[in-house]
Amino acid sequence: MSRLDALRGPSPPVDHNARSIAALAANPACHRRAVLDAAGIDKGKVVQHLGHPMQFGQSPFALIRSRQFKAIVKESGGAHLLRLLRELLGLAVEEAGYRDVEDVDEHAGRALLRKHTEQLLRSAAENRGDAATIVDHPLLKLNVAGYDVYLEPDVIAFQAQGKFHVVVIKTFAIIDDQAETAKVSAAAREAAVYVHALRVLFEQLRLDPQRVSHDIVLVCPENFRNFPTARLVDVRHQLEVLRRQLERLARIDTILDTLPPDLSLDLMMDGDTPTRSAAELGAAVSGIPARYAPECLSVCELAYFCRAEAKACGSLEALGRAVRDDLGGIESVSTVVNLATGAAVPSDDQVAVTERLRYARRIHGEVVA
Amino acid sequence: MDGLEERMLTLRREIRVASAAGDHARVRSLRAELRQVERTWEEAINPPPAPPAPVREHVHQALTLLGVPAAAKTIVAVDESFFSGTITNAKLTSLRRDEERSFRSSPNSRPYYLCAALSAERLSPVRGVLAVSTWPLHRRIIGPLSPRTDLLTSTIRIAEHLQRLTRAGESPLGGFRLLTAMAQNIPGAVADFGPADPDRVITAARAELAVHEEKDQQHRKAVAERAASQLAEVNQLFGAGLRTASTA
Repeated sequence: MSRLDALRGPSPPVDHNARSIAALAANPACHRRAVLDAAGIDKGKVVQHLGHPMQFGQSPFALIRSRQFKAIVKESGGAHLLRLLRELLGLAVEEAGYRDVEDVDEHAGRALLRKHTEQLLRSAAENRGDAATIVDHPLLKLNVAGYDVYLEPDVIAFQAQGKFHVVVIKTFAIIDDQAETAKVSAAAREAAVYVHALRVLFEQLRLDPQRVSHDIVLVCPENFRNFPTARLVDVRHQLEVLRRQLERLARIDTILDTLPPDLSLDLMMDGDTPTRSAAELGAAVSGIPARYAPECLSVCELAYFCRAEAKACGSLEALGRAVRDDLGGIESVSTVVNLATGAAVPSDDQVAVTERLRYARRIHGEVVA
Repeated sequence: MDGLEERMLTLRREIRVASAAGDHARVRSLRAELRQVERTWEEAINPPPAPPAPVREHVHQALTLLGVPAAAKTIVAVDESFFSGTITNAKLTSLRRDEERSFRSSPNSRPYYLCAALSAERLSPVRGVLAVSTWPLHRRIIGPLSPRTDLLTSTIRIAEHLQRLTRAGESPLGGFRLLTAMAQNIPGAVADFGPADPDRVITAARAELAVHEEKDQQHRKAVAERAASQLAEVNQLFGAGLRTASTA
């Protein structure tokens, strides 16, 4: 039994997906998340037991909308997609083949679907005459920290120039050629996971991994209509971050070495009810250093627990990365307040920050007075 | 009508007389008769609507217009644009299974069945796509190029239908909207805003169809031959696969 299995206890491991792998890459310095994810621990159950459940799940309306929009993009053999690929990549009219991996069987298992995806991609890559331009419902496999993760990209498109492109369908709108930066970068991070998995597969098939393009096709609704439009997004940066992150995950032993040897995060499940005391489990989770930032709230199940922890010890991290960087070198909120009010004497490296704090306090005082 | 109204008057008079005489049993029976006559009178004034044609008739009508296997969503859209628009997605879900059950219990007793399109790879039913059993088998096979040629073919047929309607002096707005939606993914078919022009759509769709049609037809026919030699009649209509085997 490996160290990670021992951490998790007897419960079955939770699978990664592209979202969770991308979230991991978004906050690479957080040891807590890295360890829990690598051990396949059900973070949702853990925080629920600790009394800090996720406040909001995914909205059912958003899920329905996403399903509907995907159906629109893919209908009639990906008719919209074909138009967009012709505009964007200069796909030739001859290239119009549509293959659905799920055609093998409605009830096929994941292994069979993956095998079929592999066959389709190999035949598309090896002979250009093969008419598989758009591959729908592909299933890829990626090894993350010793576990096989199954990934389902929206669509993979094959271009006549011999390059494969990952297509990602999202429901945030592109308005006047602009979309929200945060959402685009989240989509890019997720797509990078697929590109990476596809390149790994190509290496296994002894094909040139560079035939998987680092440009992904992002399909979004245009100007508040349900009419799909597409842009190419370069994910080289995200790929690099992801690759480094996955390598680091493989070396998770170095993090584990710093943890107490008898640490366990087992909920001691009895059927559906955890029997371990919350205080004990909380202490165990707190034993793994975290790096909380307000951005975690949207990607990590543990965020509410980490936030409560950060607030309790008055950590500046709870206020966001910008504030923490501005007040570099100071650890807690109380120190900042003491320095600003003059209750504490600044050390040499805190003089500059203190001056700015006092200046800000004076201006604030004048404005509110 | 006049007879009914007279009968109602007479009945009311008799009820008054009977109730004055204290003959309660007669009053009750007269009242019942009066209600019956009133109901007949009301139905004569506004007759109840004729029962709607069964869903399968509508689906058959829509598929015949399209001429190719189509997804439920397209069938509903065509029915809405050109026919009465009474079918909904929900009504279509159980249709194929009902048809299969009917065929299995007494094969070929109906003039047509609504059946499945078959995937070229495994000859399994393509999910959510319906076809008509009287079509030749190769038309119901879906190869890699078939979704595209089917879209082009059905767009041409819709455009031709609109031409016929326009010549007959009709211009169904919904029909033009459907054509515009279908044509927007065909290069050169739609000029700019406003409804699509059927002539232009037909020219553009034929140009693209010429590129794919031959290859697609060859593939479909080859698969159809394989299917005809391998599969039992019921599986040629409703597909081979785990599901069919388990319901058999």
